[in-house]
Amino acid sequence: MSRLTLGHGSGGRLTQQLVHRIAECFPLTGHDMEDCAIAPDGSGATMDGFTVTPRFFPGGNLGKLAACGVANDLAVRGVRPEQLLLSVIAEEGFDEEELLAHLRNAGAVCDALAMRLVGGDTKVVPRGAVDGLFLSACAMGREIPRREERLGAARLQPGDTILLTGPAGRHGATIAAARYELDVPGLTSDCAALWPLLAPLLSLPGLRAMRDCTRGGVGTVLCEWAESRHLGISVEERAFPVDPGVLSVADLLGLDPLYLACEGTAVVAIAPEEAVEALRLLRSHPLGAEAAAIGVVTEEHPNLVSLTTRIGGRRLVDMPVGELLPRIC
Amino acid sequence: MPERTAPSFGEMLARLVSRPTILMEVCGTHTVSIFRNGIRSLLPKELTLLSGPGCPVCVTDQSEIDAALSLASLSGVTVTTFGDLLRVPGRDGSLLDARGRGADVRIVTSAFQALETALREPERQVVFLAPGFETTAPSTAAVLLEAAEKKATNFSVLSLHKLVPPVLRVLAADPNLAVDGLLLPGHVSVILGEAPYSFLPEQHGIACAIAGFEAEEILLGLTELLRQIRTNRPTVRSLYGKAVRPEGNARARELMERVFRPVDAPWRGLGVLPSSGLALREEFLPWDAAQRFPLPTTPAQVETGCRCGDILTGKLTPPECPLFDNPCTPASPVGPCMVSSEGSCAAHYRYALRGTP
Repeated sequence: MSRLTLGHGSGGRLTQQLVHRIAECFPLTGHDMEDCAIAPDGSGATMDGFTVTPRFFPGGNLGKLAACGVANDLAVRGVRPEQLLLSVIAEEGFDEEELLAHLRNAGAVCDALAMRLVGGDTKVVPRGAVDGLFLSACAMGREIPRREERLGAARLQPGDTILLTGPAGRHGATIAAARYELDVPGLTSDCAALWPLLAPLLSLPGLRAMRDCTRGGVGTVLCEWAESRHLGISVEERAFPVDPGVLSVADLLGLDPLYLACEGTAVVAIAPEEAVEALRLLRSHPLGAEAAAIGVVTEEHPNLVSLTTRIGGRRLVDMPVGELLPRIC
Repeated sequence: MPERTAPSFGEMLARLVSRPTILMEVCGTHTVSIFRNGIRSLLPKELTLLSGPGCPVCVTDQSEIDAALSLASLSGVTVTTFGDLLRVPGRDGSLLDARGRGADVRIVTSAFQALETALREPERQVVFLAPGFETTAPSTAAVLLEAAEKKATNFSVLSLHKLVPPVLRVLAADPNLAVDGLLLPGHVSVILGEAPYSFLPEQHGIACAIAGFEAEEILLGLTELLRQIRTNRPTVRSLYGKAVRPEGNARARELMERVFRPVDAPWRGLGVLPSSGLALREEFLPWDAAQRFPLPTTPAQVETGCRCGDILTGKLTPPECPLFDNPCTPASPVGPCMVSSEGSCAAHYRYALRGTP
């Protein structure tokens, strides 16, 4: 008898395997099956379910997370987020004022993006049937027309530069700190809508692919890219922008910031000759102030991601396997 | 490209190695830091680095996990422990599996959080599974004192605590193990001081360096060991700065001694080692989960073929275990060395399975 574990939902290898088994249940599927589907006419849609404990955390709450999350899944594919459908599943007895607080935050994100709420569904279920409040959101929009091939990992080429728009792992570290009752001054989630940061990059013909590094973190995105294109990726630890709060949480709990979730930080692959201009564009927006070039795509070590460490050692970056569990001491 | 300091680290080590040398890092935190910082890729080929028995999760015996699982199956009982103990397989699955089946198993990051849970939820029996070495035992002791003072009758501890010097004694006396030097963990030594290790150089000629966990601190520790070996003057040298006083932390040791007494304890793959574990003293037996709840008495060991014992004593490297990578992986670990993020098998799998890219 096989049962689902939290590891199946943590974004790494186990999630990948489960998603594969789910897709097999459907006789007809799209060919690339990414987070975001783009129709031949350029209209894009994505959906995502949101649950987080605690629901309020430094830098955001469940509502903001939901609106940013779906908008970002579109943004990284070059699709402007325009419409939102929202499904609310709340537990009997849930505080209505709290519900509205989440939704007002979601509303503020939509307002800033000029994204319109166009439909949804609301359910209240018996106490115990869900843990407080679950939100599911679907965002739709239109792809910004570009002459080049559609953005995606398939466009990665040896020599491409890998950019990171900000420090890795802020959301994951913030949630871990809250959950395990660690007080880390200055640490906040990076939860933010990425469209205003990333849209200017769409004018660069050498832009290959972008991904927001949610569950599984930066490390998982890099591994997925390397595996899907059978290319290698080499990154330099010293080039990574770092957040001291993330480092201290990671250190205390024995977690690797590379695998901690981000909710407003993206990895970008771009032709090397346009990397400088891309960095300039990213850094001119407050969300990208710390953007940096962290590595390159290479023909060496196909399917693998290598990290050159601060002291000049080299090691493999592998996909995390299950639920990230804090260690003993 | 910025100028690199990297080659100099490797060269520095290479200059100090004059003959084939085997060093062992005792502590799991060192193991992970060594892999995460790519230190193995900098080692000269005459230098072999083995991982030792200092990962608390890895040395937790199957019988101890079975006891924890039977506690978790009791109604009204909440089992609390550190995260990486949850995946360790017992006879019938892991605590994570038990949680999936509905058992109340919760992750805490300190013994205090476990006691707080008990005080907050008086209707539940809260058991704290207490693994770890001299680093975590003092805080378990402090919490037991507080539980006694607050008369927290719904709180108890299942002590899985183990002691570092006794296992090093066994290792050092093993004729099949030829280790030239030991990298000793800074945080354990903060409690113990230097004296408990002095038998290693004095009786066995083993070089010892106590070091911190940052990359540079580890490299410093390795160079110190190589220097002792080169000059043939093994000793115990602390490089952990002022944190390690030669006499250690007397107060923490007093706490431990007040609450615990040394007992023979089972180590995964190594068997029962004399005076290597900690049990609650008589005064604290009311808070001993092993007293409060019925536990399986003679738990049967499952033959899995797992070579944890040989891995933990450096006789086998993880890839030499017949189960490594097939069927034993971090997703479905057979033994605890593959479970813990600090286990040498998991570290090998994660950082070195497919070579150094």
